[in-house]
Amino acid sequence: MRHLRWLSILFITVLVLSGCNGFTKGDSAAKDKGTAESDGKVVLDFWTFWGSEIRRPIVEKIVEDFNNSQDKIEVKHTFVPWGDIWTKELASIAAGSPPDVVINDINATALRGEKKQAENLSKYLEKDDISENFYEELWNATLYEGDSYGIPFNTDTRVLFYNKDAFREAGLDPEQPPKTWDELWEFAEKLDAKNGEKYERIGFYPLFGAGTDVWMLNADKVNFIDEKDEVKVNTPEKLDALKWLKSWHDKYGANTINSWQSQMESQQGNPFFSGDLGMLVQQPTFYTQIRDYAPDLNFGVALLPEKEPGNGNTSWGGGFVAEIPYGAKNPDESWEFIKYLTDQEAQEYWAVKNFDNVANKKAAESAADSEEFNDAAKTVYGLAVEAMPQTMLTPTPIVAPDFPTLINPEFDNVYLGKKTPEQALEDAEAKVQKLVDQNK
Amino acid sequence: MTGRKRFNYKTKEGLQGYIFILPWIIGFIVFTAGPLLFSFAASFTNYNITSQMDFIGLKNYEKLFADDQLFWTSLYNTLYYVAFSVPITTVGAILLSALLNRDIPGMRFFRTIYYLPAVLSGVGVYLLWMQLLEPGTGLVNTVLAWFGIAGPNWLFDPAWAKPALIFMKLWSVGGGMLLYLASMQGISKSLYEAAEIDGANAWQQFIRITIPMITPVIFFDIVTSLIGGFQIFQEAYVMSNGEGGPVNSLLFYNLYMWKKAFEAFDMGYAMAMSWILFIIVFVLTIINLKLAPRWVHYEGGGK
Repeated sequence: MRHLRWLSILFITVLVLSGCNGFTKGDSAAKDKGTAESDGKVVLDFWTFWGSEIRRPIVEKIVEDFNNSQDKIEVKHTFVPWGDIWTKELASIAAGSPPDVVINDINATALRGEKKQAENLSKYLEKDDISENFYEELWNATLYEGDSYGIPFNTDTRVLFYNKDAFREAGLDPEQPPKTWDELWEFAEKLDAKNGEKYERIGFYPLFGAGTDVWMLNADKVNFIDEKDEVKVNTPEKLDALKWLKSWHDKYGANTINSWQSQMESQQGNPFFSGDLGMLVQQPTFYTQIRDYAPDLNFGVALLPEKEPGNGNTSWGGGFVAEIPYGAKNPDESWEFIKYLTDQEAQEYWAVKNFDNVANKKAAESAADSEEFNDAAKTVYGLAVEAMPQTMLTPTPIVAPDFPTLINPEFDNVYLGKKTPEQALEDAEAKVQKLVDQNK
Repeated sequence: MTGRKRFNYKTKEGLQGYIFILPWIIGFIVFTAGPLLFSFAASFTNYNITSQMDFIGLKNYEKLFADDQLFWTSLYNTLYYVAFSVPITTVGAILLSALLNRDIPGMRFFRTIYYLPAVLSGVGVYLLWMQLLEPGTGLVNTVLAWFGIAGPNWLFDPAWAKPALIFMKLWSVGGGMLLYLASMQGISKSLYEAAEIDGANAWQQFIRITIPMITPVIFFDIVTSLIGGFQIFQEAYVMSNGEGGPVNSLLFYNLYMWKKAFEAFDMGYAMAMSWILFIIVFVLTIINLKLAPRWVHYEGGGK
């Protein structure tokens, strides 16, 4: 029966070909990916989404410095675009051959810990506890059931930028930025300039550069789902915030807001640069845009105003962690690299070269005095460092990771005038509660 | 079995045929059928990609229909989009190709111009349209303002967000146009000549000759764009920054599924969602195929 042989050849061909398609993992993957090179070094694959002209050389310099600082580990940097990096990482974890170190979103670190996407770092932290190096709020966001699953790398916050010349013109003291929500409103009224019905300058609109959630956090300092998994959407302070935001929306009207918003998105044409916007909430890194696009702008920075005196200038931030994906082949070496990455020297280099907030407290503080910064840069960076201890994160709640899809439409409804703030918050609370109950 | 002749002609030819299509068969089994079956099996589990995969019976499906707070919203958004975009783009493509099916000097130039947008695709186009649709400074509203029309807030207004996407899709009817044009060129001139002798005007010729003769392409276009329409994802993902637009008006089925899979890591649930969509599209396609003999005209009478 010769044609049996034919069939078996066919069968073998199928097997061989399908072998190429990834049925064999483990051994062969480990061989390509890492472990011993000819000179005995362990090679690590380090994934980031920092591929821009500015950031890529900086992260690659840090990698190079690390490689030169010792002779056991060789790190290779792989740039993976923002839109792909974490889905690719997830697929590679599921396939059993992940990269060795990945930069990932700080807010969902605990979630990744719970889902076994990231390695538990506790055994390393028992040996050298570096938790004190970082801002507490950042560190806490990396914990799931008390164990850390990623080490904070960079971060951000929100501060108030204001135009000093516009302040002077409006009869305000340029050295006295607004301290409370009431003052914000009062100052904005003075800064507003109208030609007939049309605005030529608007004083301030709180939702440029910050979301509804930021002001709610500023008001009551509690996340929508708190650390005990209790839903805290419909609180009196959050209701005040929503009413206050709605009154701003009514003050300027949708048309004015949309037209300012669209200019804001075109970077160079930002109305804050041209003086058509008096005050703006932004990340401290906004300074680099002022530096590049409006170098002559006479501006000041201040902490986010507080709801009422004594309430606190709570701000909101996010950031990224360096973590070891679950199942990575050389976790000990990965840990060495992460330690270097989040230690003072590398962090300070990143902070100064990028003008970016970093998670390492000492690095942030010494960057604020860096000789490479001019006075304006020092002022902004110093303020950012001052804001950090009052900056809250919004860690993804494990009981309802996708809850924003339920509450954001309710806020939209308020601004569109379809629901009262009371009704919207009540509905949002009920929806989030239902999602939490479903997932428990 | 005698010496040299191992197979008879038929077996040999059959085997060769299989060897030729082997790459496709392997591709189909490994990259399509395998994942398909896997997703079906996993839709009955709490699979989260990395740490768990326990059988939970029909729970995912029960939750979808009874308890999910956004399932119906996302399904409504998708049906709305399909119900408007499929007919509008089909009619648009037919009308455009009828216009471009003329013997006028310079016609090639216009054909190229109208086809160009179909060549461009992806995120770049969506970003471009986000600028065009800017309420304050965008080109669309600027042009509308010339005629005294105060344009809507497009992507920022829940009532206009979906129409904005459909409007954007109209821009790339060039792909369908090309198919219709090719099929119109294939219609025998003698049909039109005969009609002209009988005194039919241009409109009658279009309705009685052109349309019936291109029904196979219309059918093809409707089936494929229906399937494509249900899969709308990228547009909404890019143009709403992955959020789902104002009041979730751009939260299409696939966007919601993506959020469940990669934000909540509830992959089993997302897989159950994908099977519901599969069944919807499957049923609609069957209906289409059943209805086809009533209106699709194949030349030569064969099916």
